[in-house]
Amino acid sequence: MRLIPSRLAVAVAAVAVVAVPSLALAYNQAPMLANNKALPPVDQRLPAKPQVIKPLDRVGQYGGTLRTAMRSNNDHNAILRVIGNQSLVRWGVDGFNKIEPNLAESWTISPDATSYTFKLRQGAKWSDGTPFTADDILFSMNDVLANKGFLSAVPADFQPGGTPVVVTKTDDYTVVFKFAKPYLPFLEKLATPVDQYPTLFQKKYCSQFHPKYNANVADLIKQNNAKDWGQLFRNFCGDIEIPARWGNPSKPVMDPWVIKEPYTGSATKVVLERNPYFWQVDTAGNQLPYIDRVQFQLISEVETILLAAINGQLDYQQRHISGITNRPVLSENMARGGYKLLPSAGINANQAGLWLNHSTSNAKLQKLIRNKDFRIALSHAIDRREINDIVYLGQSQPWQSGPHKASKFYNEKLATQYLALDIKKANEMLDKLGLKMGSDGFRQYPEGGRVSLGMIVMISNAALMETSELLRKHFSKIGVELVINSSERSLFYDRANTNQYDISLDVFSGGLDPTMNPRPWLAIHATESRMSLPWVKYYLTDGKQGEKPSPSMLKRLDLFDKWQVAKTEAEADGLFKQILEEAANEFEVIGTVMPAPNTGVINKRIVNTPAIMPDGWTWPTPGPSLVQQWSFVK
Amino acid sequence: MLNYIFKRMLSAIPFMFMVSLTVFILIQLPPGDFVDSYAAAAASSGETISPEKMADLRHQFGLDRHILIQYFYWIGGIVTGNFGYSFEWQSPVKDLVGERIGLTLILSVAAMLFTWALALPIGVYSAVKRYSIGDYFFTFVGFIGLAVPNFLLALVMMFIASKYYNQDVTGLFSPEFQSADWSLARVYDLMHHLWIPMIIMGAASSAGLIRILRANLIDQLYMPYVVTARSKGLSEVKLLIKYPVRIALNPFVSSIGWILPNLVSGAVIISIVLNLPTVGPMLYQSLMSQDIYLSGTILLVVCLLTVVGTLLSDILLVILDPRIRLEQ
Repeated sequence: MRLIPSRLAVAVAAVAVVAVPSLALAYNQAPMLANNKALPPVDQRLPAKPQVIKPLDRVGQYGGTLRTAMRSNNDHNAILRVIGNQSLVRWGVDGFNKIEPNLAESWTISPDATSYTFKLRQGAKWSDGTPFTADDILFSMNDVLANKGFLSAVPADFQPGGTPVVVTKTDDYTVVFKFAKPYLPFLEKLATPVDQYPTLFQKKYCSQFHPKYNANVADLIKQNNAKDWGQLFRNFCGDIEIPARWGNPSKPVMDPWVIKEPYTGSATKVVLERNPYFWQVDTAGNQLPYIDRVQFQLISEVETILLAAINGQLDYQQRHISGITNRPVLSENMARGGYKLLPSAGINANQAGLWLNHSTSNAKLQKLIRNKDFRIALSHAIDRREINDIVYLGQSQPWQSGPHKASKFYNEKLATQYLALDIKKANEMLDKLGLKMGSDGFRQYPEGGRVSLGMIVMISNAALMETSELLRKHFSKIGVELVINSSERSLFYDRANTNQYDISLDVFSGGLDPTMNPRPWLAIHATESRMSLPWVKYYLTDGKQGEKPSPSMLKRLDLFDKWQVAKTEAEADGLFKQILEEAANEFEVIGTVMPAPNTGVINKRIVNTPAIMPDGWTWPTPGPSLVQQWSFVK
Repeated sequence: MLNYIFKRMLSAIPFMFMVSLTVFILIQLPPGDFVDSYAAAAASSGETISPEKMADLRHQFGLDRHILIQYFYWIGGIVTGNFGYSFEWQSPVKDLVGERIGLTLILSVAAMLFTWALALPIGVYSAVKRYSIGDYFFTFVGFIGLAVPNFLLALVMMFIASKYYNQDVTGLFSPEFQSADWSLARVYDLMHHLWIPMIIMGAASSAGLIRILRANLIDQLYMPYVVTARSKGLSEVKLLIKYPVRIALNPFVSSIGWILPNLVSGAVIISIVLNLPTVGPMLYQSLMSQDIYLSGTILLVVCLLTVVGTLLSDILLVILDPRIRLEQ
């Protein structure tokens, strides 16, 4: 009697063994790969457990070429954005609120948040068919990134608090990242394109350009006229943000598409073709990507890109044409160009923020700027509705410097205080400050001299230029003179970095990703925290250089230091909310309007695109929306 | 003659050295450096580059060293045939420029031939039939050609081609030939695309040359030697071609040396508008982004070609015009 169940068990086991390969056989591949005799069958190319991606609308169809455009120089990141950064983890398709597994199947974080253990996707392969293992990560992190011949220092994101990460493997598919201090933001950093290093270089191919693995590397350096092995390595294996990353068709990658026609100085187009070893499938077992090829047309003029878009020569385009000013022409030509509009939400907290310089070299003005009442008066003098109507076609809304409502860090006060247009109140406040109106219509300091602010703004940004003219008009109504110093970008930065400005009109970052770009509330960024760059210097040099920040800023910086080493998410979020609350109380910088939605175009026949996505670099639009599951339908 | 050529070549060496130094310093005069403009370009697309990364790039590119050290590093490499690496492309400058210079030469020679083919007969006609209807017509057209900027002509042609013929006239190749290897079909395709930039670039310079030729020829036509030749019974065509035209040709020949630099620097806007893969746009981009080794090398090459071109035109002038002597 006992025999029967055990036989049954054997039979069940046998069925199970048979069932696994038969399940695997169910994977489908693109027709363009079906006839390729050189390739192993699709189920051998895929990992045992490929990552299953649920298409946004429906299971797609194979085929087609995604035509898009980029500028012909200094625009390599256009490729990265479409192809996507295949890192250990990735952003959720809808934005910043979730981190999803990617090349790492799962991970655990130690209770003190100092050590991250990643389980890699076993059987995932590089585009040349070589398995992706822990050794590739160790090579990238320990041999390349930590080597002074490649980078003079390990990137800050991989050495929080100044101690570089230690990366080890416990087996071929398990790696441990160990930090000296608690480091909660690590997963979010890993999801951004600039921190893709762990999965960037294949050991087998790239080690031939590394002196540790190739004794004859000196010959290669000479053959290629390179200066050192770092340059040779970059030339063949690329780096995160350089054109050479897309210049070598024989470099193995983990991306959905691989380079066929490389991006070089004389290229007029760049073509990528599907990676037969890509390790994701859809819910019906179809290997991704759906689209066969991605083609970038190289165009030197941005206006020509716009022309190509409205002529329907591009299947997808956001970059360079998504500004609000192009919206009318893009919607007008929708039928003719056969596209629909692809909206994206600007990621910045403010599109035209006034960075008041709290360390301006003008002593009388500095005293004034450091007076909160003066700042409030300026804010009440701004007619934000007019700015919105004239510059942003009424598509935006008045806003200060706070995160958007969609962010969990939304702070009503920081976002909406002192927004009302109230010239009378503003004038009263300025009167109280002892700034008498002169006969020329401008206010005078009590000790004499006209109250005049010099504002630097970049000429390349037309919207900011228009806004600055409106601001000059608005401030003249309360007797404050605004002198606009417009210049091209490098001179702008020159003036900013040498502290030659009273106001800098520029974006406030951190609308959707406040913890990643907290520059408007914290003097931490060496060139962008323009409420006072001397304060930043003080913070970055531990008080050795620069100028001591205001008590409020010191308090925030202290909270920020605590936030950086917080052990739990609750603790971290609590600290960050305190930072924002303190910034709201201090009201250091003045906002005008939040970003208006940007507009791109996408071919009407493409499905599985998100209704709206963030338009950012930390969330490199459109990559994390998983372009590999976009599909042309007939 | 050979002695003269040799002397000229020898004197070019210190000249080129001076040029290289001037060029290198001039390129670096604007505020900021390549890393600044790299960061600026990234920022204009919403991308940010951390200060550490910028410092690292400066170190990588040697931008943190003194300008003279950078110069000698560059010029030392050039002497041994190594033009350095382009910062932006991270690949050897030699390859980058080499790829484009061939097409640039083809285009400039084509534009030059077109200019001559147009300007020579019209110029002679206008001079001989002075104040005729035909002369007025060509003068009128010539002034329009002189006055209208080339890039505007390019834009108008692009618009007409795309509006009425639904044709894309930009670039030098059809999409399928853009990255193909050289073949007869590709050459045919190039010929197909070459004529538009050729006409646009040739238009203004032919208008100018017509005016010069006409003026020069009119001067010559009433010289006593022409009258003498005519009274001797020389046929009108032979007389015209053999003497006055030959002398009036001087400006044509002496301008050979300028054609190349003109195409690289003067036709930048047309090349950008028409998306031509020539050296011009690359020079423009590299100057804008302060990619010093790339722009420096292009300028140096252009300068060298100008020196060679001037030498060539001087030699041709000697052959053409017996009044010119080599000796001082």
